[in-house]
Amino acid sequence: MTSPRTTLYRDKQNGKFMGVCAGIADYTGVDVIWVRIALVLAVCTPAVNGIILPAYFIAGMFLTKKPAHLYVDEQEQRYWQRVRQSPKRTAREIRARFRDIDRRLADVETYYVTSNPRLSAEIERLR
Amino acid sequence: MEAIFIVPAIVLGLPWIIFHYITKWKTAATITTDDEALLDELYQLAKRLDERMDTVERLVASDNPDFKPARILHDRELDNEPLRELDRLLAEKKGARR
Repeated sequence: MTSPRTTLYRDKQNGKFMGVCAGIADYTGVDVIWVRIALVLAVCTPAVNGIILPAYFIAGMFLTKKPAHLYVDEQEQRYWQRVRQSPKRTAREIRARFRDIDRRLADVETYYVTSNPRLSAEIERLR
Repeated sequence: MEAIFIVPAIVLGLPWIIFHYITKWKTAATITTDDEALLDELYQLAKRLDERMDTVERLVASDNPDFKPARILHDRELDNEPLRELDRLLAEKKGARR
């Protein structure tokens, strides 16, 4: 687990207390408010609150802080969230993007090959 | 009598379940550092190519006014006309039902 973009961090900048909830939200792409609500509900549930609070503090102690400039923009952050959710689907999305670019390039090429505006302009000038 | 069942269930069963899921989690498809670098490169490449393609399309369109980049555009008269017709028909149908 040395890859910097697929590790779980704690997000101290966006966090309320230790940033564990914000880190989980950043990792999964779930809105942070839901993670916090889930934590509060888990703390209020008698069956699991003996596990959740120590788990929170252990996570808060051992998780490294999120590096400040991990992502360039929000789009990149969302891209990596999707990668963490499903790398396969992201690979398919990338392939779709490349196919889209290929199609657009083919359109431009077809336009120049079939209509050839420069050639017809040259012919017009020669007349 | 109950302790005979509960103690082994906790001592054996719980770690078994935990380790079962740990091994499952470990063998699940994860991406390596190389995969991550590859995905990063592909993302940047696709973004750059997308932008270049935009520029090329804009250049071609400015040189040749009859070149229309084939892409989904919103709010075009060509699409709005049948949509308005559809709206009208739906409104009529609603009116007839009442």
